[in-house]
Formats: sequence, C-alpha cells, structure tokens
Amino acid sequence: MVANDDRAGERTECPYHDESANGSVIDAIDTTSTSQGRPATYTENLFSPAAIADAHRHYRVLRSLGPVAWSSKHKVFVVSRYREARAVLADDAMFRSDDGIALTALARFAGRHTTLLGDGTEHDRRRKLVASHLTPRALRPTRSTVAAVAESIVERAVARRDIDGVEDIALEMPLTIVPDLVGWPDGAREKLLPWGVAGFDFAGPVNRLYVKSLPGMISMRRYVGGVIRRRDVRPGSAADNLIAALDRGEISRAECASMLIDLLAPSIDTTASVIAAALQLFADHPDQWATLRADRTLMSNAVNEVVRLASPLRVFARRVVADTVIGGVSVPAGARLLVFYAAANRDETVWPDPDRFDITRDAAAHLGFGHGVHSCAGQGLGRLETSCVLDALLDTVDHIERRGPGARASNNIIARWESLPLRLVPLAASAGAPTSLETEVQS
Amino acid sequence: MRIEVDQERCEGHGLCEERAPQVFTLDDEGNLSYAFDGQDVPADRVDEAESGAVVCPVAALKIVR
Repeated sequence: MVANDDRAGERTECPYHDESANGSVIDAIDTTSTSQGRPATYTENLFSPAAIADAHRHYRVLRSLGPVAWSSKHKVFVVSRYREARAVLADDAMFRSDDGIALTALARFAGRHTTLLGDGTEHDRRRKLVASHLTPRALRPTRSTVAAVAESIVERAVARRDIDGVEDIALEMPLTIVPDLVGWPDGAREKLLPWGVAGFDFAGPVNRLYVKSLPGMISMRRYVGGVIRRRDVRPGSAADNLIAALDRGEISRAECASMLIDLLAPSIDTTASVIAAALQLFADHPDQWATLRADRTLMSNAVNEVVRLASPLRVFARRVVADTVIGGVSVPAGARLLVFYAAANRDETVWPDPDRFDITRDAAAHLGFGHGVHSCAGQGLGRLETSCVLDALLDTVDHIERRGPGARASNNIIARWESLPLRLVPLAASAGAPTSLETEVQS
Repeated sequence: MRIEVDQERCEGHGLCEERAPQVFTLDDEGNLSYAFDGQDVPADRVDEAESGAVVCPVAALKIVR
C-alpha cells in the first residue's frame, strides 16, 4: 500500500521526454529543450538526504532550467522561480490542493478532510474554523502573554549563557505557547514535535523519512481520536472551537479529527525553524543585529527577511486540473506540480544578492508562508512568537555568538536547525541599557 | 485601478498597512478599513495601494484594472 503511488488517470510521465536520462547536476540540464513549450528535465532525487542537506545548490540549477522543469525522478513538474511559483499559488482553481499537496496517494487520502488539502468553499469553511483563534486579529489580546513567555525563556537562556538555540529558545517558545492556545490536554507537549516532524515527512515521496513517519502518523491520529472522545481540551481554545462545531453538526467526526491535525502538526517545528534561523542569522551578521537594535520599527521586515531566507516549508505540491501554460511551458491536465517556496524566495531576478541577509530589504512579498487562500493559517502566531523572542533578546543581550557549526535536521518538507550552539552575551549589568558605544568599550 | 477587499478573507495581518498606511488601516480590533472602497484609486495613490495589496498573505486584496 505504501509504495503504490500510481492512480488511474494520473499523469506520471512527462509527455515530452523519455526517461532514459540519468546523471549528475550538469547532466540534469537537458540542453535539447527549448523555451517554446517544453520543460527541461531534471534527473536528480530532490528528497535524498544529500539533496536535503544541500538544497540550495539544487534550487539554483532548477531556477536556471526555466519556469517549469520536469523531474524524471519524481514524475512531477517543478516550479522554482518566484513569478511562476506565486502565480501557481494564487490560482487555486487551476492548481488544486485537494488530492494534490502530498506526493503519495496514501498521504493525500489520509489528509482528505484537512484544510490544507481542501479547496473552494469547503476549504474556506474549514479554514475559518481552524484559523479563527490564530489570526492576528484574534491574537491581539494574547500578545502580552506571548511577550511575557518570550521574556522568561530568554531570561533563563541568558542566565545559562551557553545554550542550544534550538532546544533552549526556538523549540521552547512554541512548545510553551501552542499547547495552551490550541488547548491540548496536559501530557501532549512531548509528542507535539515528533508528530509535527512525522506529519511533514509523510507529505514527501516514499523514502526512508516517509516510512519512518508512519508510526508517528498513526499515533497522532489515535491521539486526536482520543481528544474527540474525551473532550478534555481547554475551554475556549482553538481545539474546543472545533469540537463545538462537531457538536453543532457543522463538521463530521472525520473532519474534526483532520482539522485538529491541521492545528497540531504544523505548529512547532515550523516556528522553531524561523526562530533558530533568526538566532543564527543575527549571530553571523552582527551589523544586522545592530541595525535592528537601532531601529525596532524594522522588526516586522526583519522577521520577513528571516522567513525568506529560512523558508521553513521548502516545497508542497499542486494538482493541475486542466491543460495550461506556465511561463510559456505547457503543462497537461492531471499533472502534479512541485512548488519550491524555498527556491522562489532566493530567485536572483527578484531578490538582488538573494543569499545576503539584509533586514532593510523589502522582503514582505516572500512566499515563505505560501500565498493566497492556502497561505499559512498560523503565520500571525509565528510572526508574533519570533518578534517577541527577538524583542526580549534585544532587551537583554548585547550580541549572539556561534559556539560551533550546529547540525541541520533532515525532513522531506521542513528545513530547520536540529541544534545550534550559541553564546548569549548579556548587555552590561549596569543600571539601564548602555549605549552601543559603551557596550563596545566594555566588551 | 480599483481594489476589491474581501473582508471575509482578511485576517488582520496588517502587511498592507505597513506598506501603504495612507490607503489601508487596521483599527484597534484589527479590522481593516480601506480608503477608496468602491471607487477608483486616485492616481497619486496607485503605486502605494498596489504595493500594499500585493503583499496580502491571504489574497484578500484584489487589484482590478
């Protein structure tokens, strides 16, 4: 069952190429293709451990291949340039998420009642229910709580001085905020990260990470089933809201379970990816840290720039409903399309010097949270958690130092740090915040 | 050029307001008000309005030409 990804009527062959090509990145560029309707072929595995570890090299090659490429390895079309990626995400009628977002039929079947894998009015109805407690509007009264949590996490980390930026700050933040906000019963906290990791690996192709995710997927489903039976969610929470909708008969039990997974699975490692990336980027670029310290109105843009570079969610798929043309390349009905958000966010034709971290660049139009009706429902919370951590650090920390190379996690969908050894150098202990000049002299 | 605001879809992210504060504003509850509802955007505000509309993360602001 697991390996059977082919379905009747589904297009898994590029209509323009035979599948004999094989080889290195250089060979992967099909020089015979032209820009007149035919995509170039890319032969490499985009989900191998090596490709995940060295993703941006692949993204550069993919972008150079044209607006659309054909992945002979995964039997899907690939979009990696900003313009086309944004256009595909914006056109949710032509490029569908229902039966589309995951790479395997099993994952698409399992996710069929979620908001992520829904379209049209079904999707809008589900998103309202799932996101109603997570929108920036709904979060306004919660802002001070999130800020207080960030301050206490940062205070503990500064006291320790040498920390793992992932464990001690980046994960600690969502693991403290999310269980209460979403309303999970006590005892869920330890499981939220492994379940989230499994949920994203499960959306990838059949590989080792996918197979490893299956037990986690089963135990996550069992858990939300138990939550629905026991109804032991925190009153007034987002999960409580979904169970109330079930009781009113607005959603089915299966929908309720899937929408609880919508709330659970993407809530931890995504945010942790952004916060850890912020710590790493500001540690490596003290000039940017000084710029943000000097002008905190740059905070919102700084978070956008971190999300652009970190692109926690590197790729999702769409299903093409009718014959169409993307950037001059014909794509047939029934095809599947991988949209590499992480590649689009470093498209050199849109972002000058795309690998450079610059919090003053206008980064608001990045695709790190997706775009359009399926854009991340938790992005308001993610932005809030990240900016509160950075604010708390600016209040207490002079600068952040790297204490080792750290390690990257390997996941089919999510790009993030697994560990990030850091030293937090506190602001001088004298009363009041010193000026940056004094700080330099003292340190 | 006009901008159609889908209030049902708006979640109050406020990215439009950051870019185009003369065109889009969020009140204390996070509800969006749009300066040129139901009319053409004045010529001297078109660039600003468009730059605010394109960053809406949930596609609640539609540019109509």
